[in-house]
Order: sequence, then C-alpha cells, then structure tokens
Amino acid sequence: MIVAAIKPTEHLAALAFAGRHRPRVWEPAPWIFAIAFYFAFPNYLGFGTELLVTILFALSLDLVLGYAGIITLGHAAFFGAGAYTVGMLAYHGIWNEPISSLMLAAIVAALVGLGSGLVLLRTQGLTLLMLTLCTMALLEEAANLGHEYTGGFDGLASLPIPPLLGLFEFNPLYPRTQYLYVLIVLFIAFLFVRTLIYSPFGQSLAGIRENTLRMHAVGSPVRARLITCYTISAAIAGIAGGLWAQANAYVNLTTLSLDRAAMVLIALILGGYGRIYGGFVGAVAYMALAHFLAKLYPTGWQLGLGLLLVVIALFARNGILGIGEALLRRIRAKHMPQ
Amino acid sequence: MILGVDVASMILGGVAAGMVLFIVSVGLSVTMGLMGFVNLAHGAFAMLGGYIIVLSMNYWGVHFLPALALGFVVTAAVSFAFERLLYARLYRATELDQVLFTIGLVFMAIASVTLVVGPENQQLVLPAMLQGQVDLGFTQYRTYSIFLIAIGIIIVVGLWLGFERTRIGAQIRATVDNRRMTESLGINVDRLFTITFAFGSGMAALGGGLGAEFLGLDPQYALKYLVYFLIVVAVGGLGRVTGVFYAALLIGVLDFALKKYIPKGGTLFIFGLTILLLLWRPQGLFAGRAT
Amino acid sequence: MTACLLETRTVSRNFGALAAVSDVEFRLEVGARHALIGPNGAGKTTFINLLTGVLRPTQGRVMLKGRDVTDIPEAQRVKLGIARTFQINRLFRGLTVLENVYIAVSERLGIALDMFRPAGARRDVIEEAMHLIAALKLEDDTGRRVSELPYGRQRLVEIAIALGLKPEVLLLDEPAAGVPSAESHIILDAIGSLSEQIGVLIIEHDMDVVFRFAERITVMVGGRIFAEGTPKEIAADPEIRAVYLGQAYHG
Repeated sequence: MIVAAIKPTEHLAALAFAGRHRPRVWEPAPWIFAIAFYFAFPNYLGFGTELLVTILFALSLDLVLGYAGIITLGHAAFFGAGAYTVGMLAYHGIWNEPISSLMLAAIVAALVGLGSGLVLLRTQGLTLLMLTLCTMALLEEAANLGHEYTGGFDGLASLPIPPLLGLFEFNPLYPRTQYLYVLIVLFIAFLFVRTLIYSPFGQSLAGIRENTLRMHAVGSPVRARLITCYTISAAIAGIAGGLWAQANAYVNLTTLSLDRAAMVLIALILGGYGRIYGGFVGAVAYMALAHFLAKLYPTGWQLGLGLLLVVIALFARNGILGIGEALLRRIRAKHMPQ
Repeated sequence: MILGVDVASMILGGVAAGMVLFIVSVGLSVTMGLMGFVNLAHGAFAMLGGYIIVLSMNYWGVHFLPALALGFVVTAAVSFAFERLLYARLYRATELDQVLFTIGLVFMAIASVTLVVGPENQQLVLPAMLQGQVDLGFTQYRTYSIFLIAIGIIIVVGLWLGFERTRIGAQIRATVDNRRMTESLGINVDRLFTITFAFGSGMAALGGGLGAEFLGLDPQYALKYLVYFLIVVAVGGLGRVTGVFYAALLIGVLDFALKKYIPKGGTLFIFGLTILLLLWRPQGLFAGRAT
Repeated sequence: MTACLLETRTVSRNFGALAAVSDVEFRLEVGARHALIGPNGAGKTTFINLLTGVLRPTQGRVMLKGRDVTDIPEAQRVKLGIARTFQINRLFRGLTVLENVYIAVSERLGIALDMFRPAGARRDVIEEAMHLIAALKLEDDTGRRVSELPYGRQRLVEIAIALGLKPEVLLLDEPAAGVPSAESHIILDAIGSLSEQIGVLIIEHDMDVVFRFAERITVMVGGRIFAEGTPKEIAADPEIRAVYLGQAYHG
C-alpha cells in the first residue's frame, strides 16, 4: 500500500475550516419561514415586526457577548440611542425619511458606543458590568429629564414617518410595510454579521473571548479590537432601535430601560449565545412565550422565566441551540460507531 | 442658622439611609470579594428578610427587635441552603452564568412574593418608642433615624472588630487578597464562603427590615434597589467592610441631598458620579491597593 | 562577533518589599540556544515577564535589537519580534488547534482586522498553520478543541502559537513541564529545526532537556544572576552543583 503524503491544506480539518463560512442547506429556512409568516398570519404582523426587531437587537448583542465575550447589562443604551435619534428628528420636523433616518440612528448609536467603549472597555468583570448599567441608566435619566426634546416620561408619540421610498405607507393598523422593511434590514445586517464572525476579525474576537492575556502575547491590540466590535454592535443595536421607533411611530423611555436590556439578554441566552442563529431561536421562543403567557398569567410567566434562567445557567449553558447540537452529536455518534 | 439646621437634618437623614445601605450591601461586598461571585440576588435576600420582619410584626404581633432577629435567622438559614445546593455549583462558572442564575432567582423571588403575599406595599409600623421626634438640643429629629444611625454604628464597629480581631475575619481578609495563597495554607475557602454568605444574607435581611420604613417593601424591591446596592459595593470595593461603609454613607447623603435640592437631576448625578469614580478607581474608591 | 538580540541593563523588579529580580545584566545573542535555570522562586518567570513587557521593571532598561523597549507594551513588543510560551497553558481553550494557530499567524500578518473576507479564504494562513501543526505532530488533533486534548498535547499547541509569530527572540517558560517524556523530544525537535537567526531562551527544570538543548546556561538564584557559562562549565562548577544542581543532574 502506498501512503501518499497529503498536502497540509488538504487535511480534513483544514478543509472543514476553509469551508466553514459556506452556507448550509438549511440556512434559507428561517427566511422562508419569515416570508411564509407574512402571508399566513396577516393579523400578527405587528407581533412579527416586534419579533424581527428583537432578533436584530439580539444579533447585535451576540456580537459583543457571544463573540467578543464582553458581558453587558446595558445594551439598551444603543437601542434607545437609535430610537430617540429617529424619534426626535421626526417629531421636531428635522428629518424623517425612513432609510436615511435609520443610517443616522446607526451613526448616533455607534458614536455612543465608541464614546462609552473608549472609557468602559478599560475595565472588566464587575466594574464593567456596573459601568454598562450606569451608562444606560444615565441615558435613560437624561431622556427623562430632557422633557422639551425627548417628551420625558411620556416619550414622543405619533411620529410623522413618510412612506418608504415614497411608495409604501407605514400603516400602524396593518403593519405590512413595517414587517417587510424590518425583514429586509434584518437580512442585510445578518449578512454583514455572518461575514464578520467568519472573518479573521471574528476569529480574533473569539481569541479575545477565550483568552485575553494570550491575545496580548500574540501581539493583538486587544482594546482597540474590543472597541471596534463594541462600536459595530452599538450601530446595529441603534438600527434595531430606529426600526422600532419607525414601526411603532413612537419612542419612549422603555427603549432605554433595564427591562429591555435584560429581555434581549435572556432571549439570546435562551437561544444560545456565540451562535449566529441563537438570537433567532431565542427571540422566537421568548417572544412567543411572552406574547401568549405574559398576558394571561403575568406572575406565573415571571416565575417561569426566572426558573428557566436558573435552569439554563445550571444545566444548559448553551441554550436551545446548544441542546440541539448535543442531541445531534449523540445521534451521529450512534450512527457512526467509529 | 435656619440653613445650618436644615443641612444638619439633611445630613442626619442621609446618614440614616446610608446605614441601611451599608447593612444591606456589606454582605454582598464580602461574598463578591471572597469568591468573585456576581450575586445579583442579594436584594432578593434583603426583600425576604424585610417581608419576614414586617409580616411577623403585622400578622403575629411580634415585637420589632425579636422580628429583626427572626428575619436574620430565617434568611441566613434559607441562603445557607441556597448556597450549598445551587450557588456552590457555579463558583467556577463564568460571570455570565452567575449573572443569569441570580437574575433568575430575582425574578422567581418577585413572582413568588407577588403570588404568596400580593403586589401591594407592606407598611412597617414602628413600635411607639421609635416613633416621633427626639430633642437633639439644636433641633428636633426623628427618633427612628437616630435609632438607625445607632444600630449602624454598632454593626460597623462589630463587623470591624470581627474582621480585624477574629480568626475567621483574618481568613476572610487573607482570601480576598490572595485566594490561591490562602487555599495553599489549608484554609477551607468553600466553608468560609458558606458562612459569610449566610451571615451576609442575614445582614441584608436586617437591612430590608430596618429600611422598609422609608424604602417601602413590595415585590419589586429585589430589583428596584439592586443598582444602589451594586453601586455601593463597586464604589466601596470588594471585600472591604470600611470601604463599603464610607461608600454607603456617601451615596446615602448624596442621594438625600440631591433629592432635596435638585429633585429632577439627582439620579443623573449619582450615576454620572459612579461612572467617574469607577473609571478613576476601577477597584473601588476605598480599595486601598491597585491589584 | 555575534550580534545581540535582547539585552537587559541592570534590570530590577520589586513587589513591595520583595526584590524578585535584582540588577540583572543579560544578553541573548543571535542564534543563541540559551537556558535559564534556578530553583523555584528564583525570579525566572518574573524575568521573562520583564523581557516581554507583561511587567515594567522598577529600574533598568530592556533593549531589543539595540532599541530601548522598556516602555513599549507587550503587544507591540511582539510586533518587534519577541514571542513567548507560558509556564501554565494560556490557550484559546474553546477553539480548535487550527484556530489557535491561525489566530497567531493572522495577527503576525496583520490581517486580523479584515472583516469582510472569510478566514477560510486565506489559504496561505491555513497552510502555514498546518505546517506548524505538522511540525509539532498535532495533525490528528487539528480539528479538535484544545480543551479536549491531554495536557501534554496542549503544551505543544502552546509552542505552535509562539512559532506562528515567527519571532526573532523566542522565550520558552518550562515548555516540557507536564509533557510525557516520550513526547518531550517533539518539543526539542521543533526548536532544533528553527532558523539559526533566532535566539531562544528556555527556562527548564528538566536537566536532561537543558543539557541536550543549551549552548549557554545562566543560573539565577534569589533574583540575581549566580553564574553563566557553557554547559560544561556550569556542570563542572562545584558551587553550582552544591547550590542548585544537587542530585538533579547525574551526568
């Protein structure tokens, strides 16, 4: 028998790595579901829009939490920054064209992310956790106090959002435009994030998450890298917030609240963080449960949610997708005894 | 003259509030310092204690002081069970897991209290001797505030002596400074943590009861004041009794003063100040060392 | 005359009242195979941390290729050609062996800011990483997570990462510690096949490894340089035998 020396790049594991970014067969499925939802549940498009916004928000959080390993309790700061950018510009009659407003929302949120990241990301652990929380609380309080500009506690309602591209009306009762608009933005953002996490940059973020000290020792400018990631994530969260404001035609303090930050964190963890589809699965599971249970049994819902978190933290650290992956591994192991 | 009295009474009120903040937060600081465990459920233990204390007084007619003792003992026992059964599994877990787990506990605590007791605020009715005003010479002042300050001083002195003079206190200090070293000396850090955790939760219970008069007591308590407790710990430093004491007084007085003079921007100022303090001294204002 | 790669000038580091490293004058030449030995607590790892910039010296200067790098932080010193391994593994434990090495190579090539191209499309990086993996006999573990490997194999990943940086100065902090003796030759082979231009400094307790590898040995005791010389000189020095080598070396 002749043993041919295989080239190192033809090693199976190397080939797997070289092709890991290629789309899997099942990857169109969520988007087909989303389009099917539009036709199947015309009466639930408001809920669907909210769900898509939450997925986008969770995607932005996954970038910092799941990939770069930054634990934050204050991600709603950027969601709110984007929402208030859209809201204040439209309400005060400065600018309301939807797509460019969304870009402005991204820029403002990115600036907030860059500014806070420059100072916060020098710290870690509990201090960082506290600082993210305080930054968000600071913005919330500022929005509360700046009554003249932000509407204070009541927020800004009846935002005049003109038709998308001058053609498609944003109708609050039949949010068909909203749903498709958010879906398209989500898809673009998803493609961007997906490209990013499989890139050398994404690989270096994983390195920082796994061992920050070693990253210094391989010459990586860790802090600059984290700030870059934080800023990108903030921009995406800002887009999610901007979409939320446009879809609902209002903006209020809940966009900056701890509740919203905790909700997106829970949704992401539930789905499985550090997996690009974790936000999708988690947001669907969380929103569906919340939508149907929270209204019927609000207290029971909170109790169940708490229990769920405790169980996830103790037994299922990788969320629903993690459980799925473990099951798949087990099935494969059974079918391939080698 | 009027202004002087005004300032004095404002400071007294702030100090009294600070004492409660200290009593609640000190356990959190020590347990976080010992194990690096991010325990966001600390406020839930304070709430549990508060409910035991207030309900036992309102429904069973227990007197204030025995009710405080009851709250301390029961909460310490409950937290002991939680620590052994659940927390202990997460010592080596990531901060994220610890955050999720303890947030989950907070939600469960809020929901359970709502289900069992109801969503409404529970009124703490002070015993007659603690109601009314006391003459301080230069001004009349609320008896209860003076009582809180006295209790706070007794507790801080007691804790300080316990920390500085007892064997277990020395072990705690050593572990906060260098855990690996302490373990290599054969000190059972896990057992140390269990004891401090139970004791710290008991203290939080006392604070929950003592503060119920002006902080109120409803199921949202566990979440509502969490940020304040965390700020006190972050500013005071992990595992530092005196640091937490000064931080609690600072935050208590500032909060009181700001609510009085700038009722609108007060919270904004506290959050802003906390950010600046933590950037300046990430290990806490009173941590005393760089590492 | 050989050129000097890395040099310290009266470098000291104190921790409070404790002087971990005192007045060390040290030179690492181009192509050196240099060992640093000494009892536990002699300040060897602290010295490595001073060389790499993890710690700043209390006094003295660190020179890299004639340039004063004392105030240059760790990550930038790596760019200037210094790399190290750690006494206790510091790996990207949740990532595969290939990803671990890929990260090092991509940082060296400066492509780690590229967000828009798949990491897998850089075949040159993968090829280089695979060569390193092959050199350390890790091919069978290429796609496995580091955390799943036995400790000894993880030590090899530790070295593969450092080699991925293509350093001019390589500092190895007890590379063979925890490696089964049957596999320690893999480490020596990998280091042995390095270019003659690279200066290697190794901290090691295993005297077999030291005397097989080193052309020059520095003995550190109590934070100071106790002796320096060729392996023959060191092995023959009765004082060193008494102070340090003891029974450890029968040769």
